[in-house]
Amino acid sequence: MIEELLQSSPGWANFGIFFLLGAVLLLIVLGFVTYGILAERKVLGYMQLRHGPNQVGGKWGLLQTVADVLKLLLKEDIIPKAADRPLFIIAPVIAFAPSFMVLATMPFTDKFQFADIGVGLLYYIAVSGLTTFGMLLGGWASNNKYALLGGMRASAQMISYEIPLVMSVLGVILLTGSLNLNDMVEAQKHGWFIILQPIGFVVFFIASIAELNRTPFDLPESENELVAGYHVEYSGFRWAFFMLAEYVYLFAMSALITVVFLGGWLAPISFLDFIPGAVWFALKFSVVVFVYIWLRATLPRFRADKLMEFGWKVLLPIALANIFLTALIKSLFF
Amino acid sequence: MLGLVKGLKYTLKNLTKEKVTYDYPNKPLPLPDRFRGIQKFYPEKCIVCNQCMNICPTDCINLTGKKHPDPTKKGKIIDTYDINFELCILCDLCTEVCPTEAIIMTNNFELAEYSRDMLFKNLEWLDENDENIRQVNKP
Repeated sequence: MIEELLQSSPGWANFGIFFLLGAVLLLIVLGFVTYGILAERKVLGYMQLRHGPNQVGGKWGLLQTVADVLKLLLKEDIIPKAADRPLFIIAPVIAFAPSFMVLATMPFTDKFQFADIGVGLLYYIAVSGLTTFGMLLGGWASNNKYALLGGMRASAQMISYEIPLVMSVLGVILLTGSLNLNDMVEAQKHGWFIILQPIGFVVFFIASIAELNRTPFDLPESENELVAGYHVEYSGFRWAFFMLAEYVYLFAMSALITVVFLGGWLAPISFLDFIPGAVWFALKFSVVVFVYIWLRATLPRFRADKLMEFGWKVLLPIALANIFLTALIKSLFF
Repeated sequence: MLGLVKGLKYTLKNLTKEKVTYDYPNKPLPLPDRFRGIQKFYPEKCIVCNQCMNICPTDCINLTGKKHPDPTKKGKIIDTYDINFELCILCDLCTEVCPTEAIIMTNNFELAEYSRDMLFKNLEWLDENDENIRQVNKP
């Protein structure tokens, strides 16, 4: 259906349909973000031997995030006097927009995908790199040294870890022979890439945590060293945008790992095919999100000087060796 | 690397362990019997010896006595008894010094009020504060 729409002549009806579909996806993602944050707080709480939110919205705190977001939206919009006003305003937008744009190419099931781009994986990685720009701009426009430090750290970390991220996924691309995400899922019919590419998966997973600025690698917004990193001066809905971008990336990255390494919507064993692909996707996706939260509950923050060393001297060589190994195996056995 | 797996195992185990938190405002906290909370006062036991007022390190107790209404009996009975909880440090000295156990600690501790005047507790209030009283009051 999307394919037809993409090739039909432009017009208001076309625009309306795309706008509606985009709005629906946005609502789904917002729903995920709302309950993803709650799930994170709940799981973190349980792992730390406490209950987490349990006051607002019944025993499970189901309305806690809704209340929090409402509070953020009702807050006064504060822009510091010394801040660079236009940049300060546009930075959260620049940070958030790419996080939603990358979802366009994500194949949630064989039918539910917005754009079947030939270079889907490349598109994802290229567009997600733009968020760094928003963070750095936000940190710089705040005119605050902590914010600037956080922004610098964010850009340094995200650019360094993007390289092992791409290199580790090259093994999968070699085995698939395509950058298209649909082809990648199809190539996993006889074995997920997490089994065929274990080294690549581990490197990709570590680099993806760093890309998401999540806990072992949350130096850009380390609360107890840099106050809050690049968004110290932000409050209210502008801050909510940064937060939203972070969690939409969690959604997108978990979806990408599901598609690239865990076989997307495919059932793990062929006789389980009767269960619809959406259910399989949701299951695998939830497992990935849980692992992210689990790691956050377990690991302390990386040291700033070790961070770059780890990225360049450990992850990158391993990723390169993985490419070499994959190429060798492919030319010998396939 | 092994430590990483160990840590992950530990946090996963904690997921189902019993929680260490208290459901505090909904359920009262379990407190030991020797907890030093807001005093309970028994006006009928008081012999107006003034020892509590004298020993109080923060001078937060004020009391006055009057002659016993029955002229055949000697001694005094209590007329007013005030504790100022702006000053009281709940040090337990007044209850230790009291010869007739007329003032005793309880396990109540919630003293938050909207006005400072509300922290000035009089004889009636301290008499009505009769929940969670300390069971054994020997020093």
